[in-house]
Amino acid sequence: MVAVEVEKLEKDYGKVKALKGISFTIEEGEIFGLIGPNGAGKSTTLRILATLLTPTGGRAEVFGHDVVEEAEEVRKLISYLPEEAGAYKRLTGLEYLEFMAKLYAKDNKKAEKMLELGIKLSGLGERLRDKVSTYSKGMTRRLLLARALMVKPKLAILDEPTSGLDIMNAFEIRKTIKEFVKEGVTFLISSHNMLEVEYLCDRVALIHKGRIVEIGEPEELKAKYNAENLEEVFMEAIKNV
Amino acid sequence: MSDFMVILMKELKDMFRDRGVIIGLIIVPLVLYPALGQMVQIGMEQAQKETKVVIANFDSGNYADILIKTLKIAPNVTVVEIKAKSIDEALRIATSKGYNVLVVVPSNFSECIEENEKAMVEVYGIFTGISLGMKESVSEGRINAVINVLNEELAKLKLKSNYPNPEAVLHPINVKSYSVLKGRVINLPPSVVSGVIASQAFSIPLVVFIMFTMVSQMAASTMASEKENKTLETLLTLPVSRTAIVAGKMVGSAILGLIAALAYMFGMSRYFSSLGMNSNIKLEDLGLKITPYGMVLFAVIIFLAITFAISLSMLLGTFAEDTKSAGTLVSTVMMPLLFPTFTFMIVDVETLPTVVKYILYAIPFSHPIIASRAMILGEYSKMYMSIAYLALVSLGTLYATAWFFRTEKILTAKIRFKKRARGS
Repeated sequence: MVAVEVEKLEKDYGKVKALKGISFTIEEGEIFGLIGPNGAGKSTTLRILATLLTPTGGRAEVFGHDVVEEAEEVRKLISYLPEEAGAYKRLTGLEYLEFMAKLYAKDNKKAEKMLELGIKLSGLGERLRDKVSTYSKGMTRRLLLARALMVKPKLAILDEPTSGLDIMNAFEIRKTIKEFVKEGVTFLISSHNMLEVEYLCDRVALIHKGRIVEIGEPEELKAKYNAENLEEVFMEAIKNV
Repeated sequence: MSDFMVILMKELKDMFRDRGVIIGLIIVPLVLYPALGQMVQIGMEQAQKETKVVIANFDSGNYADILIKTLKIAPNVTVVEIKAKSIDEALRIATSKGYNVLVVVPSNFSECIEENEKAMVEVYGIFTGISLGMKESVSEGRINAVINVLNEELAKLKLKSNYPNPEAVLHPINVKSYSVLKGRVINLPPSVVSGVIASQAFSIPLVVFIMFTMVSQMAASTMASEKENKTLETLLTLPVSRTAIVAGKMVGSAILGLIAALAYMFGMSRYFSSLGMNSNIKLEDLGLKITPYGMVLFAVIIFLAITFAISLSMLLGTFAEDTKSAGTLVSTVMMPLLFPTFTFMIVDVETLPTVVKYILYAIPFSHPIIASRAMILGEYSKMYMSIAYLALVSLGTLYATAWFFRTEKILTAKIRFKKRARGS
């Protein structure tokens, strides 16, 4: 089943054209990477799919639901982790996860199960009883990722999931993503770390100046451009743009 | 638990853990105002305790003795006679011994009275510090009161030989004052009635001002803190209706705002009662009565005005990048709306030019004040009009806020407050 279908998607911020008619699809159970430099349009695409922004043109669907017309339905299926996300500083990590679980699960039993999973995923142990304001950046990011995944969304939209994290935290997060795919979660990940995406994603779209310049499996793209990694693929692909 | 309740509980937990909010909005008014009042009260009590008067009598006549005897039997006054050769010496003695007041009876005091001339008494208030001079002013007041009595007594003494009723000569007119309020004659002088009305006129706009300032700041900061802490994007992608988010935040702000307003009102009432601003005359004594129906109408008006304040402030909060700029933005918009309500303290709006009057009526925050008076006077038609107008304005603002929440503008709207460049 198609999890995400994006067709000729455009987004203007005043005179600035952030997206210039991009199209791609993501299959259910796939890890799809959107890669490109800062300002390429990755976050804008993710924010449109997360129902935060309205496209200027084109359309986008999540599991058959239009992100503009059926935004509330889409929100029931997705979990979005923004790049610069934070948590409520005056709540403890546990209270934060509990708050989110209660909003996703409509009954107490489900909420408790989600919370249990969130506690496990965060790996923060006893520190969950401390206020979020006392957490390091890595701890906060792990809490937020636990929040995003504990609800077992049909589509997880993660914007730069490992941005600013140390090697160990980044490794743990990548491992968690791989595990969740096995449970049927579809991932849309944006990153400017092309090596990470190469390791993590089944397919990638290279985005540059609001346009998708290449799309395919990492191995396939490397072979096409006779490149050693996606970085080289990207540099070659944008030459013709 | 419904989504609304989950959000409301989170909001309350988050806000009540903000030490700045708790200290600034609840602890300070509950502690600071009563403490200030207590200090003033202590000062006033000290002033009323005892007035130490020292008398330097340079007159050997009878009337000086009468004056001193009258002062000695006056309540709360300790009188000490001193021997001094000059006023300077008398002042030195009084200051060194810690007396508050020096009364100087000049050598020609009795002679002047005997010759039907005006006699002079000099009163010196001695300031030992700069504590508002309360002690001294009260003391001088007491001396003046005693001297007034003495004036009367001396005058009566002189008139007695020629007039059988010297009182009628001294005060040929007796005044009995009444007030007419809403066509009803009240057995109270106009000064007392105007005092009661003035206390109403003063306190209600003040309470309205404080309450709406608090509530507005709360509402704006709850939105701005979502942006500041970068939690807004996540919140808006949750499977929760935007209405539940807006409602949860609004009610949370309203609860904290009301608690803060109550704390301020309690603190200020303690402060004012210390200053003796509470009159013993009640509204019932003036033939005025607040009915349960009037109170219900008043509560509806307060509710609608709070709804307006919160929805407008939340809307403003979405334009701010952080809580500090939210505070600035709310002050910039709310203060011009709140300050004109003070007009109600000093003037009767009906007497103002039509344009000014309607501008004041157009400000939603004027209506709780108008309604508070209408409630006391039983003028319910004015309250109905306020309800109709506030319902319209509040619903409009609420709709605008809800609409704003449904659009991407909630993320993209920004008003920047430029920092003044150094050295420019």
